[in-house]
Amino acid sequence: MKNKIIPVFLLASLISVSMLAQQKGDPKATEFYSPVPKVVMPGAATSDAPSDAIVLFDGKNLDQWSSVKTPGAPAAWNVADGILTVNKSAGNIQTKKSFTDYQLHLEWRIPANITGEGQARGNSGVFLASTGPGDDGYEIQILDCFNNSTYVNGQTGSVYKQTIPLANACKKPGEWQTYDIFWNAPRFNDDSTLKTPAYVTVIHNGVLLQNHTELKGQTVYIGAPFYKKHGPCPIKLQAHGDKSEPISYRNIWIREL
Amino acid sequence: MQKNLLLVFSSLIAALVSFAQTKPEETEYYTPVPKIITPGANFAAPPSDAIILFDGKNLDEWVLLKDSTATKKWTLADNAMTVDKTAGDLQTKRKFMDFQLHIEYRIPENITGSGQARGNSGIFLAALPWGAGGYELQVLDNYKNTTYVNGQVGSMYKQAVPLANACRKPGEWQQYDVVWTAPRFNDHGILQSPARVTVFHNGVLVQNNTTLLGDTPYIGQPAYKVHGASPIKLQAHGDKSEPISYRNIWLREL
Repeated sequence: MKNKIIPVFLLASLISVSMLAQQKGDPKATEFYSPVPKVVMPGAATSDAPSDAIVLFDGKNLDQWSSVKTPGAPAAWNVADGILTVNKSAGNIQTKKSFTDYQLHLEWRIPANITGEGQARGNSGVFLASTGPGDDGYEIQILDCFNNSTYVNGQTGSVYKQTIPLANACKKPGEWQTYDIFWNAPRFNDDSTLKTPAYVTVIHNGVLLQNHTELKGQTVYIGAPFYKKHGPCPIKLQAHGDKSEPISYRNIWIREL
Repeated sequence: MQKNLLLVFSSLIAALVSFAQTKPEETEYYTPVPKIITPGANFAAPPSDAIILFDGKNLDEWVLLKDSTATKKWTLADNAMTVDKTAGDLQTKRKFMDFQLHIEYRIPENITGSGQARGNSGIFLAALPWGAGGYELQVLDNYKNTTYVNGQVGSMYKQAVPLANACRKPGEWQQYDVVWTAPRFNDHGILQSPARVTVFHNGVLVQNNTTLLGDTPYIGQPAYKVHGASPIKLQAHGDKSEPISYRNIWLREL
């Protein structure tokens, strides 16, 4: 009995002594000088590219993009007046570069004369990692959801068919809208099993829609999402097959994390 | 034999289930419907569901920490409030749990001092009446001014180094956009989920869903102590450098 009490008493006194030491201790003990965060010059506005950004589209050309349907072929969407407009017959386009974790800014506009309803009204999307041809990848939905309802896990800002957005912050057709997206790619083990899932944060027009949402896997139209091992991937923009007027993009930049 | 039968039966069920997944409508949901919010005209303007904590006109949403009845708080001028170092910290009357916060600050152009004594202030995302006063997002002039990296602007003070130094020059307005998830405790005061924070500084990601280890004392290691909804607090730091200013503060409860 005695033998048990003494060590406990000793331990307790040791703990209180070390707590006392900490309170009286040196504040410098918890001040670190490395690694030093890199200096980044922010843009003049939140939407402007910071100094370390890779500009993916600045209004001039599609040099950073290629066709998904015909690998290696140029991206055949329309560039005019500093903006990029979907060419539905040309299909999806994707970046030439591949990425893992990043902060992405892009702007999109539903045409003022948009027609159609549900999913057939200004439908497009950003695939945060294009894992294969067609619509393979993890899609953040773009759709005209201003007075247009659809299934909630398919509205603007949803992780398509996976996660409902926290809000509907759509602007009117004809107005430019912003997406600021933080993407943490999934990691896989050597035996191809999932090590850590993908996470995404989406800010739409300054409103938080996804807060470090864990993805269940790649987006599928039918059935359940799944993970399949991949490394760095391009970012893909969707040419959706519906008959509504094509949407436009501008000011696309990315910072690798 | 029975085992085999069971196996056949379960494979049959599995096959049926996978056959059943042939319609896209099966993965389309119609509730709950996300609330409709009119976004601000730009990133800094408050969305329609925001609580305006400071629009430049008055300090009605705020009280001094050391005297909640004081009518003279911080200095108001030109749609901004300026820290009054003699008046001490300023905190919201309201208490919050999880939120998206927008706040702008300006280091005066004539700032002097170095290290931690140069435009030091801070935003306590949950103000606590112990330790160093809560979970502090550091505000400091780190434009060509170095200090310990877990105490520079964009750090969760003495805990999490920012991913980048995205400071603007003294004299320019700077902005923070913060997503705060408060820690949760059970009825016994045991931590259930830690606090998490995402910080966007001048449009640059500096904290990406950082998990906090507790509130950070000036001396010693971070630790959690049970608390609920808390005010947001702005720091009047005791150093001798010129006081900084804040403007355009709003938040959306999540």
